[in-house]
Amino acid sequence: MKVTTKIENLKNYKKLLKLKNGIKSFFDAKGYLELELPVMSPVLIPESYIEIFKTQFIYFDQKQDFYLTSSPELFIKRLIAKGVKNCYYLGKAFRNSEPNSDRHSPEFMILEFYNVPADYRDVESTMLELFQHLSQILYKSNGFSYHGKKISVEKFERLSVTEAFDKYANIDEKTLLDENLFVAAAKDKGYVIKNSTYEDLFSQIYTQEIEPNLGVNGFPTVIYDYPIAFAPLCKPNPDGKTAQRFEIYISGVELGNCYNELTDWKILQKRFKKEAQLRKDKNMISHKIDYDFIEVMKKDLPPYSGIAVGVERLAMVFGDVDAIEKLQLITNSL
Amino acid sequence: MSTYAGNLKKGEFIIHQSEIWQIQKSEFYSPGKGSALMRTKIKNVKSGKNIDYTYKSNESVETVDVNSIEMQYLYKDQEFAYFMDEQSYNQYQVPLSVVGRAIEFFKEGEKMFVYIHDDQPLSVRAPLSVTLKIVQTEDAVKGDTVSGAKKEAELETGVKVMVPLFIKVGEKISVNPETGQYTGRQ
Repeated sequence: MKVTTKIENLKNYKKLLKLKNGIKSFFDAKGYLELELPVMSPVLIPESYIEIFKTQFIYFDQKQDFYLTSSPELFIKRLIAKGVKNCYYLGKAFRNSEPNSDRHSPEFMILEFYNVPADYRDVESTMLELFQHLSQILYKSNGFSYHGKKISVEKFERLSVTEAFDKYANIDEKTLLDENLFVAAAKDKGYVIKNSTYEDLFSQIYTQEIEPNLGVNGFPTVIYDYPIAFAPLCKPNPDGKTAQRFEIYISGVELGNCYNELTDWKILQKRFKKEAQLRKDKNMISHKIDYDFIEVMKKDLPPYSGIAVGVERLAMVFGDVDAIEKLQLITNSL
Repeated sequence: MSTYAGNLKKGEFIIHQSEIWQIQKSEFYSPGKGSALMRTKIKNVKSGKNIDYTYKSNESVETVDVNSIEMQYLYKDQEFAYFMDEQSYNQYQVPLSVVGRAIEFFKEGEKMFVYIHDDQPLSVRAPLSVTLKIVQTEDAVKGDTVSGAKKEAELETGVKVMVPLFIKVGEKISVNPETGQYTGRQ
């Protein structure tokens, strides 16, 4: 690992700055409260698919573990419970055990914004307005080119996860929502099912067969309503099998992930236990669990919805740059 | 031999669905649910066909042991490029579709590394840079001072590349044979 200075990236870096300032001006003009938040926390919400960074505060013989946050949601939801309405955070987040790649960096800039009171369709509308605002700032137009293809942000293409599996992977709704049928279908397709869970195979087929088709028809694609296993903290749909979550893509690049937030603290509590146990089983770094968060959620929260957006990825796509690293002046590369 | 898919690196050879493929690109990806993934672009060493395949990062993938042997590039025909091992004088043929566009930048008699497995050639490791002479290009138009402007030039192997306006016939330039990009003047 070494520190590399890349002054040749100055032009791309300025695109990132322009985009970041564009995000700020968009939300400030709409009256969202900007949140300055810590990136270290003494407790975390347990998540079995995100590894954490652990550090320690030391003062004489007093020692206190801290963790770098993978998302600011534990702070923001506390504030929403205290009555904060529309708000956003634009700052650093950290995810361990995810090596550098074109679209990944263990340390990254996250935009997380919440619409309160609202549901996920409101967040979708706000995202469309944000895309238009950014495209206007960068290109004075509601369209731009990415990798030689024209993208218009006049509207979103929309399809549900079940429609997408039917259309691109030839897996019908019944098979998609039944774990045994789905695993059998994956086996027929030639995927290795040994030691693979339903979640593993879903992610693999989604990445291999669905994602390359998202956001490639001239508009960004919103793909919505995931099987409940993939949206456990989202409001369930009346069908009881899917829940209200969407992701947004341009040219196969995932740019944001939105939850229609679940406000039932009892389900949340169960979820905490399950995720904490999974972390133990998988020998992941142990951390103190944010049980106070459940207490906070016992308050009557208004319906609300939030989205997390990878800002470097957004700058990559809107700035027509190949890789996150090409946006940075200083990189910590392996 | 086998490895976790999460460790696959560009250039390695693997077995995928009973055939040998070379990794062209690999990228870690964590979708946030289910296991982390390794997105790869792989090239079949028989047909030269490229496909995208997504592995689970903890999935075991069989790797292929190869020797890279320095050989002399002899010539090519419609289908194959021919190489000779200067130690054993054995000749090997590699499909042009497997060598890729880099072949257009190879000069007969040049040395390069060929990957061998079970005495079968799998692929060719193109050098990072090759030096070639310009045989044809227009003279720069005076007053054309747009920075970064390029023109077409034909190299001694017959391939055409884009070069800066100041390059003249007879000069030698270096080119990256994988991308065909001009990288400097000799």
